[in-house]
This record gives sequence, C-alpha cells and structure tokens, in this order.
Amino acid sequence: MPDLFVDVFDVFMRTYQGFLEATVVTLELTAIGVVLGTVIGLIFALMKISGSKILRGIANIYITVIRGTPLIVQIMFLYFGIVEIYTMSNFWAGAIALGVHNGAYIAEIFRGAIQGIDPGQREASLSLGMNRKQTMQRIVFPQALRRSIPPLGNQFIITLKDSSLVYIIGVAEIFSLANREAAQSYQAFESFLVVALYYLVLVMIFTFLLRLYENKLDVDKA
Amino acid sequence: MIVGKNIHKSFGDLEVLKGVDLHVKPQEVVVLVGVSGSGKSTLLRCFNFLEMINSGEITIDGHTINPKKEDLAKIRAEVGMVFQHFNLFPHKSVLENVIEAPITVKKMKKEEAKKLGMNLLRKVGLEDKADVYPSKLSGGQKQRVAIARSLAMEPKVMLFDEPTSALDPELVGEVLQVMKQLAEEGMTMVVVTHEMKFAKEVADRIIMIDQGTIIESADPKNFFENPQNERTKQFIQLVE
Repeated sequence: MPDLFVDVFDVFMRTYQGFLEATVVTLELTAIGVVLGTVIGLIFALMKISGSKILRGIANIYITVIRGTPLIVQIMFLYFGIVEIYTMSNFWAGAIALGVHNGAYIAEIFRGAIQGIDPGQREASLSLGMNRKQTMQRIVFPQALRRSIPPLGNQFIITLKDSSLVYIIGVAEIFSLANREAAQSYQAFESFLVVALYYLVLVMIFTFLLRLYENKLDVDKA
Repeated sequence: MIVGKNIHKSFGDLEVLKGVDLHVKPQEVVVLVGVSGSGKSTLLRCFNFLEMINSGEITIDGHTINPKKEDLAKIRAEVGMVFQHFNLFPHKSVLENVIEAPITVKKMKKEEAKKLGMNLLRKVGLEDKADVYPSKLSGGQKQRVAIARSLAMEPKVMLFDEPTSALDPELVGEVLQVMKQLAEEGMTMVVVTHEMKFAKEVADRIIMIDQGTIIESADPKNFFENPQNERTKQFIQLVE
C-alpha cells in the first residue's frame, strides 16, 4: 500500500504541469458544451411547446436522435462529417458535439420546467392584458429558470465528465493526457487514479458553487 | 357593459354552457350562483377569453368581439379577473405584482406605476406589504393584492371567480369588504361565489345557473324570497 501511494504521488508530481494545462482544455470544452447546450436547449424547448406542428416535429426528431445515440458516435460523426465540408480543429468539433448533445437534454429540462409552472400563472398574466410573448418572458420563463437550476447543475456535471470522450478525436484534455501517461510509463493504474482524482475535485468544486448559487436564489425569493 | 348572447361552450363531448344570455349593465353587480359543475366559472372565463366559446357572441362596452381576428390581449386588459387561487407571481414582490401589467402592457413609466401601485395597495389596506413576496402573505392578503393587481389596469369590468373559496373562514371578510367597497364605487362586477350574505347585501342581481343554462335571474330580495324555479328553491334551502 505505501508503494502505491508513492507511485501515485510520483505520477502526480511528474504530470501536474501537463494536467493543469489539460484541465484548462477540459473546462473550456465543458463551458462551451454547457453554453451552446443551453442556447440550443432553450430554442428546442420553445419549439417543442410551440403551436406549430412543424417546429414541434423538428424538435422531437432532434431530441429523439440525440438521446437515442451514444455521445461517442456523435463526436465521431460530427468530427468526420464536418471536416468533410469545413476545416475545423478537433477541439471545436468536440466542443460542438458536446453542445449539440447537451442541447437535447437541456431542452427537456427547460420544457419540463416550463410545463410544470402552474397554468394559473399564465392565465393571470393573460388576464392582465399581457400577450403570449410577454407572459412567457416575464412570468413563466423566470419561474421555470429557477426550477431548472438544480437539473441544469446536474447536466453541467455530466458534461464535465462526458468531455473525456473527445479524447477519441485527439483533443488534449485531461483524460487523453492520462491515457498517454499510462501508455508511456506503464503505470496505467496510477495514471487513471490520478485523472479520477482530478475529475472528482473538479466536480466537487462545481457542486459547491452550484449549492452556493441555489442558496442565494432561495434567499432572494424569501 | 358585458353582453353574452346564446353562448355555447363544450369541452369535448361535454356541453358546459347550453345557450346562455347575459346582459350586465354598467355599474351593475351580478352574482352568479349554482352548484359546482353548473358552468358558472366557465361562463366567467369565457368573458375573459381564457376559454373560447364554440358559438354565440360576446360584446364588451358596445364592441362585439371576434376572437379569431382581434388582439385578445387588448380586450383582456379591459376586463379584470380575480382567481380562486390568487395566482400572484411568486417571483415578484407585492408592488411588482401590481405594477407589472401597467409597465409591460400600458408602457407606463416606472415611477408613475409605483405611485399608482401604492395607491391601490393603500386602497386594499396592504401599503406596508409592498416589498414583501407573496409567499409571506396570508390568503386574504394575497387575494387583496390580486384585486389591486387587476385594478391597476383600470378595467371596465371585474370578474371574480370564487374569490373567497380557497380562504380560511376568518379571512373571507377582509376580501369581501374590499369587493363591497369596489361595488359602492360603481365598478361593474360579475362575481361567482358561494357567499350568500355577500350576494344579498351587494348584488344588484343574482343569477342561478344550472346544467349550463340560466334558470333564475332576479334581484336579491326576489331571488331568496320568491324563487320561480324548483332547482333554485332547492339550492336556496341547501345554502341557507
């Protein structure tokens, strides 16, 4: 056991500079995946609850296809698909794949939250003379957004961990670094243990920040 | 002020309103009564186009409304509605609830709206709660805020959909008091309620709806002392 500890420490010390750089890449991938996913999610959520059959149909197809296929397949598909028509770095291909993937899940989070708002809120707003757009913007959506924050936080954590999958197209994020370290040093177990710790710490920081934010929202509301 | 002609409304196969005619004059207070499921709330909601009628005609302030062609938001802005479950906006303070529509719909300046809002809150006795969030209010206070919120749009007519049914008994009085004051100021009101004392004291006319039709329409005295319809007699016996 002390040997293992020494070995892990050894790998850690040898790699932490590289890992810090790779952590920045992981966080960038996560941030783009989350922001892009939120924008896409919002658009498709609104399409899904719209009165138009065509828009609803498009949103349904998108959500069904994305949720029905593995992320790793989507990453490969996007990478090789986009590169055919448009030159793009593997980083951006990976980030966009994460965003597109997240968009489907976040769309469902928003849709559920919007539809979960008491219909009386909408009726009260309409009865005051506000039109449908004003009602959505000023009454329904702000309340739905608050409700979306816990599941969105959960989705952000999933995105952070899912970003490891873009190693397959050669993006230098932390999992790919661990993979390389494992191959070069023959210390596979120690390398993956180190990368696991990186993810764990990142997720814990994320969770902590989210909880702070949720508490702040609760205080504001009171 | 509000005229409904031959109003029919169905939900699927269930016909809730079977040709209702109702003429509410300016400054008149009409109380709608009836057993639950009789269609009285649905009728009220049709007047605000929260439900679309299947056939018939609704005229508000001399203007016959074609719901397919007209901007319903504009029409609704002139018809205030108070709901059984208050439906205050929980993410906005009491004052923000009241000034939301004047600012968003009427494009009123914020300062002006705040002044209007404070006046209305004073009117319903809740000036001191302006900055509080609805979750901190009692049911009676919530409903008084909801009334102030409706009044902020200066509606031509106010619709009340069982405004006291969700309240604890000791909180009913404060809401009825505000409504009575409104009636005395000359507001045109259509009220669905089970509060017979209120109906007796405040209504100009009481209308009994049964199975989607109006079966009795009379001033309070005649309604209670000399009902014509057998079902009205039964109803009065039940509630007295």
